[in-house]
Amino acid sequence: MFYRPKTAQATRISRRRFLELGGYGATMLGTGSLAVGLNSTIMSTPVQAASSDEAKWKQYAGSKLTFLSENTPPSFAIRDNIKAFYDLTGIEVEILTDDLPVVQQKCGIDLRSGKSDYTLQYVQDKPIGSPFADFYVDLSKMFGDETLPQDMEGYGDDAWFENFLSACGRFYSGEKIIALPYDAAIAVTFFRQDLFEKHTKDFEAEYGYRLEYNADSTWKNVLDIATFFKKLKEGGADVPYGYAQHQGSFAWTTQLDIQRMMFAHGRWIDFNIDDKIGSKEPGPTNWGDAQSVLMLEKFKALADVSHPDNLANGTLELNTVYQSGNIAMQVQYHEFAASVEDANTSVAAGGKTAYAPCPKGEADWILNGGPAVNGTNCGIGGIGINANAPEELQRAAYLFAIWSTSKNIQYDVLKGLGGTPTRKSVLEIPEVQAAQQRPSAMPNALTFDAVYNYGIKDPNFVLGPKIPEANEYHSIIASETQRMLSGDMSPEETAASLKSQLDDLNEA
Amino acid sequence: MTDVSPISANPREVAAQIFRARAHSAEVEARPQSEITNKPRSFNPPMPKRYYYYLMAPAIAILAFISLYPFFWLIVMSLQDVDIGGGEWVGFKNYVKLFSDGRFLDGWWLLAQYSVMCLGLQVGLGVLLAVVVNSSKYEKYLVTALLMPMMMAPAVAGLLWLFLYNGTFGWYHWILQSAGILDNASILASANTAMYAIVLVDVWQWTPLITIIALAGLKRVPRDQLEANMVDGASPLRNFFAITMPNLYPVLLIAVLLRFMDNFRFIDSVLVLTGGGPGSATKILPVYLFEVAFKFFKLGRGAAIALTLLIVTIILGKLLVRVFEKPQNEKG
Repeated sequence: MFYRPKTAQATRISRRRFLELGGYGATMLGTGSLAVGLNSTIMSTPVQAASSDEAKWKQYAGSKLTFLSENTPPSFAIRDNIKAFYDLTGIEVEILTDDLPVVQQKCGIDLRSGKSDYTLQYVQDKPIGSPFADFYVDLSKMFGDETLPQDMEGYGDDAWFENFLSACGRFYSGEKIIALPYDAAIAVTFFRQDLFEKHTKDFEAEYGYRLEYNADSTWKNVLDIATFFKKLKEGGADVPYGYAQHQGSFAWTTQLDIQRMMFAHGRWIDFNIDDKIGSKEPGPTNWGDAQSVLMLEKFKALADVSHPDNLANGTLELNTVYQSGNIAMQVQYHEFAASVEDANTSVAAGGKTAYAPCPKGEADWILNGGPAVNGTNCGIGGIGINANAPEELQRAAYLFAIWSTSKNIQYDVLKGLGGTPTRKSVLEIPEVQAAQQRPSAMPNALTFDAVYNYGIKDPNFVLGPKIPEANEYHSIIASETQRMLSGDMSPEETAASLKSQLDDLNEA
Repeated sequence: MTDVSPISANPREVAAQIFRARAHSAEVEARPQSEITNKPRSFNPPMPKRYYYYLMAPAIAILAFISLYPFFWLIVMSLQDVDIGGGEWVGFKNYVKLFSDGRFLDGWWLLAQYSVMCLGLQVGLGVLLAVVVNSSKYEKYLVTALLMPMMMAPAVAGLLWLFLYNGTFGWYHWILQSAGILDNASILASANTAMYAIVLVDVWQWTPLITIIALAGLKRVPRDQLEANMVDGASPLRNFFAITMPNLYPVLLIAVLLRFMDNFRFIDSVLVLTGGGPGSATKILPVYLFEVAFKFFKLGRGAAIALTLLIVTIILGKLLVRVFEKPQNEKG
């Protein structure tokens, strides 16, 4: 094939030949990994309704599934323990994990191109569920299927924590369930009770009330606390800033950050739609009304006395700021309690941090006549099945979906890497109840009272807005809010710009 | 017998002479083989033009498949309200909407700022570094050191600088704050400074490319011209601008064109560092294009943005070539 002089003294591989061989090798490896690595395969043994449970679990033995998930604790813990699922079913599951924006893009391309490279997908409620809801299997049709094994606790709203099934499973219709609650991130207030106790006298002298935080504390109190600490710090005292916001580069968490404050005041929401189910035609937005303008003013006022890195701190960075002792309080997702309570990485560990519900609305700041509530929002990650997959593959995927969201698995994850259970029954386990008090073997459980007994319950919980254009909506909110916080626009201009862009987005 | 006729100044005649030399004359061909043994047999005898087309045909076909087909599909998509796998024909609606899209127009303005700052700094620093390296006895070591940032994937470079800029534990943040350049906010947290932060990363990573290319250019600057100018009393600075720079223009053109196009394409580090924020302070057009296409999944609108970006890139590329060709033509 290649010219070699007859007088050549030795057989050598030329550079060109070497590169060619390398190219062939890489191509074969790539093709092979695509063929073997990503493709799901199905093997099945027919079962009847009367078959044993073991037979039902084993009916797809020899199959292979791929699950694309966000890099959250449950997926790591389940991946470490995946042999248990293989032993139960004979199904091999490959769990791929990545950052949420990447998962969102890969899921979107897979679903909308009619492919099913990822049979099982992590359906994060708004970023993935809202735009792609129509591309997932309706799980409710499998719930009563007698040829499939079923969870003893069932899958109704009562089996999960309040509102969880609606958050990740119901989109634009009350009947279809596209995902089962797999993990949860619920907003809750973390605060340094040691610092609060230390400075309470000075604070009381200035503001007329004790430096405390509880379920009745309002956003006005948070503003006072942030102002107080900033003043101390600028006066040369060795204290952290009082508060910090999530205004970093990830648009969704930026939107959630301002949504909590908006909802706390009169349960203000962006669109006049059913907050739990959402709408494909949300109509005109409420941005631009008097309540929204006032809230933007207060949000800006709070930003001005918060940690100066507000606009660079996403959720993870913000938690690092708290762990390093640079702020005295944060509204953070309860899954971060485990890292805050880790004495190796956090100066706020060892009983210094207390947990309470999100701040309540300040009555004087409510113009729309609604109630003051502890506006709490969330990211409920569901596990859903790609509707492009063949039916048999969907059924095999269902086995993994119900196994990974079962009580025992959630308890194992909580004990191991610090999961965030979604099934009510996990909280009834005596060890979990005990862990809600210090010293706790499961630090995330320290937040459970504020989260599960308070934050997620109506009227405090806000789920939406669930709209097909959710990701562009998040981007617009984040971008315009940050411009206001940077001083580029006034609150009135920001509200008007949001109104104009969102109405244009939804063709309202 | 060797052809000793003088070389003509006319390029056509020069080409004809060379061609004549290759196609051996009848006289040469008639000589006994022993007399012409030193002349190597030509491996590239002139062939009909179509022969070359046949040879290129497979490569052209592959290139057309992987490049032209997607290009035409991009044009079709830009005229549709398109979903992956299908779309609805909307004519020029996507293009018309772009002109009322504030984020699109802001994206252009930010991209212009970003490109001008990056290119200006990279060319200035790159040439300066090349001159320094060229006159150093540690040239080999310096070149190796300069190559390092370029070897890094842009996303990794972005992550590295994200940590260095971090307001809580970032080393550069601490240095900038200690020097009084920054106030309490980190460089990425302010809409006033975030653009400089991403420019700095690009300059750090890609100035060495300009340096390496300029260094290669410096090696071909004729020493006799430099020495003659020095003998005439020219200062080193005048020597640099009168002799060195004009000789550098052709290689700098390549370097600037490469970096100019890269600035319109490479968004890895920007996405990692700021994601386009705070606000829209660093949402240069390619970042917005990425958002529209792969976050909002509006592929028709994304295709329209991509095409406008491509057209402007080509026009600006042509202008750049002219700017760089001008001094050469003047010199010639």
